Amino acid sequence: MEELKQKLKQQIIEALNLQDTKPEDIDDNAALFGDGLGLDSIDSLELMVLLERQYGIKVEDPREGRKILASVQSMAEFIQSKQTA
Amino acid sequence: MSNNRCYIQGSAAISAQPTFEGDFFSLPMIVTEANNLVAVEPDYKAFIPPNSLRRMSRLLKMGLTAALKAVQNSGQPSPDVIITGTGKGSLSDTEKFIRDIVEYQERALNPTPFIQSTYNSVNGLIALQQKSTGYNNTFVHRGFSFENALLDSMLQLAEGEVKRTLTGCFEEMTAEHFYIKSRIGFWKEADTGNAQLFDRNTPGSISGEGSTFFMLGDERTENTEACIKGMKMLYKPSAEALERGLKDFLDKHDVGIGDIDLVISGRNGDANTDHYYRILFSANCPATPEVPFKQLCGEHDTAGAFAVWLAAQILKQQQLPVSLQAFVANPPKAFRRILIYNHFIGEQHTFFLLEHV
Repeated sequence: MEELKQKLKQQIIEALNLQDTKPEDIDDNAALFGDGLGLDSIDSLELMVLLERQYGIKVEDPREGRKILASVQSMAEFIQSKQTA
Repeated sequence: MSNNRCYIQGSAAISAQPTFEGDFFSLPMIVTEANNLVAVEPDYKAFIPPNSLRRMSRLLKMGLTAALKAVQNSGQPSPDVIITGTGKGSLSDTEKFIRDIVEYQERALNPTPFIQSTYNSVNGLIALQQKSTGYNNTFVHRGFSFENALLDSMLQLAEGEVKRTLTGCFEEMTAEHFYIKSRIGFWKEADTGNAQLFDRNTPGSISGEGSTFFMLGDERTENTEACIKGMKMLYKPSAEALERGLKDFLDKHDVGIGDIDLVISGRNGDANTDHYYRILFSANCPATPEVPFKQLCGEHDTAGAFAVWLAAQILKQQQLPVSLQAFVANPPKAFRRILIYNHFIGEQHTFFLLEHV
């Protein structure tokens, strides 16, 4: 899980071109949207694309997406649950 | 189009020369050995918040920054309308999106390159930054793109419904597009560079890119640089139609060729199309000093806007930039009127007339 979260942080930084942000700057449980990393709705679409391209996981229900993309922790848990399913 | 109430209240140009931040008038020309002139990009962080900057492609950054700087230089509040022209829009985003379609077999496509590949994305960003909810339009007409944006602006100012229009253009060159254009003979075969552009009588030119913006208004202000008296577009004219077009244009503005202090020409070293300039100048204004401008900015669909910016700066500063002085043996004592003649690949021809204010 730790390894997955580190990898995910790096992938988020690259996909969203978060200049001046390092993986260690992103707290596992910090909100990705709003007050946390300050991402917006287009970023959420890009993160959906990231999940599909990098992990082969398609999020069908947008309401589900809101919970999945809440934090790095929730994204990693979702990926792991899909990989072990 | 005739209008004596179109003042350049402020402008900004990002080009292959130090036109945005450097002292363009006193610095020598930035020289390239290759056949493509690359824009000197400014520090965008001074104009665009980092969180917005991270998603923007190169062209969006250039367009938005030039637009914001033009507004800033005018000292005026937000424009009433935003009107731009571009020949190709964001090529890098378009190419990325198309590559993704192929690579990911039309699935899992990233939305950002698609959004930014649309021609009017720069306008949208400017409007968001300026909180401008007025008329907003982008013209995409190859070598008449900027010209149509300017025409629209002049018409709106003439109608009196708007006081200020933000008018400009943006163009970028990518390796892919340079290659495609080289296949159809746009560029010189041998590496020529801009310093030798006029030395070789061979087909093709050198490519360029950049973004130029003007805050245009119906009133002369403290910061006003020049007045755009008029513009005329001619599509694929014959030699006779071109000469007649120039005469009609000058007559319409009650100006004789002797009243023109300087001609800025779009000749670009292309042996296939530079004859238009020779025809026009040798027959109609052999004694008027002439300076070319495409060795500075390269050939591109909206290069005419750079010439307008250049003319405005010469009229404002009442001198020629160092990079152009070698072209004029006896410069005029004063620059009152400048005529610009430019064409794009021999198809879209434009005259502009600018006056000192």
